Amino acid sequence: MFLRLVADSFGRRPRHKLLTGAALALGMGVATAALSVALDVGDRLAKEFRSLGANLLVTPQADSLPLEIGGVDYRPVNAGAYLPEADLPKLKTIFWHNNIVGFAPILEVRAMALPFAQEGGQYRAGEWIEGVPTIGTWADHSVPRPEGGEFQTGVAKTNPWWQIDGRWFSDEGMECVVGVAFAQKNHINIGDAISLAVGRVTKTPSPFKVVGILNSGGPEDESIVVPLSKAQFLAHEPGQYRKLYVSALTKPEDAFAKRDPKTFTPAEYDRWFCTPYISSIAFQIQQELPGTDVRVIRRIAEGEGRILGRVQMLLWLVTAAAMLAAALAVGASSAASVIERQVEIGLMKALGAGSRMVGFLLAAEQLLLAVVGGGVGYALGIVLARLLGEKIFGAAPEPTLLVFLVVIGLAAIVTLLGSAIPLRRASRIEPAPILRGE
Amino acid sequence: MTELRALNRAMFWRILRRLLGANRGRLFVMLLALGAGAAVTAALLNLQVDAKRRLTTEFRAFGANLIVAPKSSGATPASDSLLNQSLLRNLPSEFQGHSVTSVPSLYLIAELSAPYSESKSSVPVVVSGTELEKLPRIFPTWDFQASPFPMHNNSVAPVKANVVCLVGAKVASTFHLVPFDVIELMNGTEKVSCAVADIIKTGSEEDSQVFMDLAGAQRLAMLSSRISLIQISVEGSPPVIQQFQGFLSQKILDAEVRPIRQFTESEAKIYNSISGLLTATVGIVLLLTALCVMAAMTNVAIERKMDVGLMKAIGGATRRVVRLFLAEAALLGLAGGLIGAAAGLVLSIGLGKAVFGVAARPRLIVYPLTVGLTMLVAILSAFPLRRLASIRPASVFRGEA
Repeated sequence: MFLRLVADSFGRRPRHKLLTGAALALGMGVATAALSVALDVGDRLAKEFRSLGANLLVTPQADSLPLEIGGVDYRPVNAGAYLPEADLPKLKTIFWHNNIVGFAPILEVRAMALPFAQEGGQYRAGEWIEGVPTIGTWADHSVPRPEGGEFQTGVAKTNPWWQIDGRWFSDEGMECVVGVAFAQKNHINIGDAISLAVGRVTKTPSPFKVVGILNSGGPEDESIVVPLSKAQFLAHEPGQYRKLYVSALTKPEDAFAKRDPKTFTPAEYDRWFCTPYISSIAFQIQQELPGTDVRVIRRIAEGEGRILGRVQMLLWLVTAAAMLAAALAVGASSAASVIERQVEIGLMKALGAGSRMVGFLLAAEQLLLAVVGGGVGYALGIVLARLLGEKIFGAAPEPTLLVFLVVIGLAAIVTLLGSAIPLRRASRIEPAPILRGE
Repeated sequence: MTELRALNRAMFWRILRRLLGANRGRLFVMLLALGAGAAVTAALLNLQVDAKRRLTTEFRAFGANLIVAPKSSGATPASDSLLNQSLLRNLPSEFQGHSVTSVPSLYLIAELSAPYSESKSSVPVVVSGTELEKLPRIFPTWDFQASPFPMHNNSVAPVKANVVCLVGAKVASTFHLVPFDVIELMNGTEKVSCAVADIIKTGSEEDSQVFMDLAGAQRLAMLSSRISLIQISVEGSPPVIQQFQGFLSQKILDAEVRPIRQFTESEAKIYNSISGLLTATVGIVLLLTALCVMAAMTNVAIERKMDVGLMKAIGGATRRVVRLFLAEAALLGLAGGLIGAAAGLVLSIGLGKAVFGVAARPRLIVYPLTVGLTMLVAILSAFPLRRLASIRPASVFRGEA
């Protein structure tokens, strides 16, 4: 009989139920879309922020003071310490290795350059240019992963704002890329060749082919970029590099992460170690690469953290506001549907139904509506969140069970709360005056 | 005739008053739904405009985004060419209402020794002459350990030194320096001793530099009124930064103004993502909220079959009945909008404070806009009543249909 009454209520007033359901579905759609986006936005934005480049800098611990002005190191080649290139694959064995999106070792040499202009297949030598900053690095290097396969990394990954006119050099070839300012000053074009030498020149070394022009907007525009192995050869430091840029996906640092790891209890230490804070990633890299000093590039890491934190908070507030509005509107809708049914309630009571029975009946109706409406709303919200994610980040947020449960729960609570107050009033009414139409 | 019309109008308002007052519960519920929608609309619209503006301020956590450097064309190598300090006078402190911070720097390499510490040997370091008090403003993410910042000589009075300097973390660890230590900087015959006011952690090349005031560095370098470059931090959205760059390049002819591409480009990308995300989220939330409120209101409106039937039974023309209900909806929308939008604006001020630490400025245009939207939603949601106009009064009273 109970079920029949519920079913009858739906069958008898289909349009009415449809509208309440629609309000519910739309409200819960808002909640789902906002919630999915808010949950997902941290990861997506963290990826966007990697276009800022590396956020960690690895240098030798026992290094002398670098004499760097505007990114150019004025130390002689034989000053300072170096790090072994052979250790680098270990970076992909740390706990958070999946969060390391790229790394590039750098070895800088000041060399003499002899450009050869190309004219119709013939090379014509120019003049020797002294003290050219030469940067040795990886352009697109494959590093074996411990779990098999290869990891592609290099300066194109860590410095995504570097624009290359032409192409990057291959890591094995005698090829180079020339900074745009240097190229303009010395009239070097793609297809020309450059010989590089350090120290006294006895015979002209075999030249590098210019395959690209680099525009970085920084001091690199005045330099020549060559494969790391070639720079090592020039510097007489085989298998060595001087600094390493690492770009890692991190979680914004909170108050907990800003504490000194030495003061942690073991449980706190585990929590810190197993969270991709930039400080814990730096610590793990330092453990893996002995003799290094891993520093957080504060300008980038802190800036990223601040902005991410703000945006995430903003979206959570938008989500909360949206959910609140949806809840109020849905609650109002279900309240209205109970208010309008006073005659029906009066009739049921006149026929001998207790207040409890009436309450149960209406609650069951509302719950059924909440589940159906919430489910439809969830589907609607997921579609919207997907459109949004694809439009803005090029990737859709994954539908999660959590959001589904929250949305269905919210729908149930809101409809019940919305109908609770009028229900209480309805339970107090006397059937006779209602039926008389007073 | 006019008398009749006046009477009609009086009757119209009277019926309207009765319609609104008939069921307090229903009135409250309708106002609640409309008010909630209006509050969220007002809050989000206001916050959205404000958040985009604030974001550009937040981006300044990345530090300088423009650089004024000597022109690198010609035969002279870049390291030899310097700028004239008088250029600084050309730099405004504000551009179209966006704040501009500019910091000049002169770099030189000097021999550093710490006469009062154990290590007696001297080591070459990069000395950066700059305006010390502006550093925390242009690079807010640098970690200044001493706070408050002892920038003036009198705060380090016990130490025998004529200037103060800031020391990068790497320099400090090499010489085991702590604040109030005295270091000596030597370049050729020039010598300066200065007191360490603070040790700064930057994570980049500045960790191995010593910062002192510009005049001191110029003396040390024997280059009076010369600077190497000017770093500028401009607030504002990417187009504003570009405009400012164009404006500066026209004003400063003997130097090059270039963006620090690492930051300007990424900023533009991230700014576009975030502001797109915000606009889209707010748009979807507002649309769905409007639809949700509309569905709820329609639901309430449909319940009024009895009223419509009664009015028709005593001779109300369909058009007038419908007009009556539309007027009721418009009034409700106005009331809900006025209350809700005010609440929403107050809400957005609080939200702005919570997120950005600065109260969002209420934009007055949002208020009438929200009230108008709410009225529109209310009127649209009363439209299904038109269909009721076709019902036959008798069947309503018999309980059919």
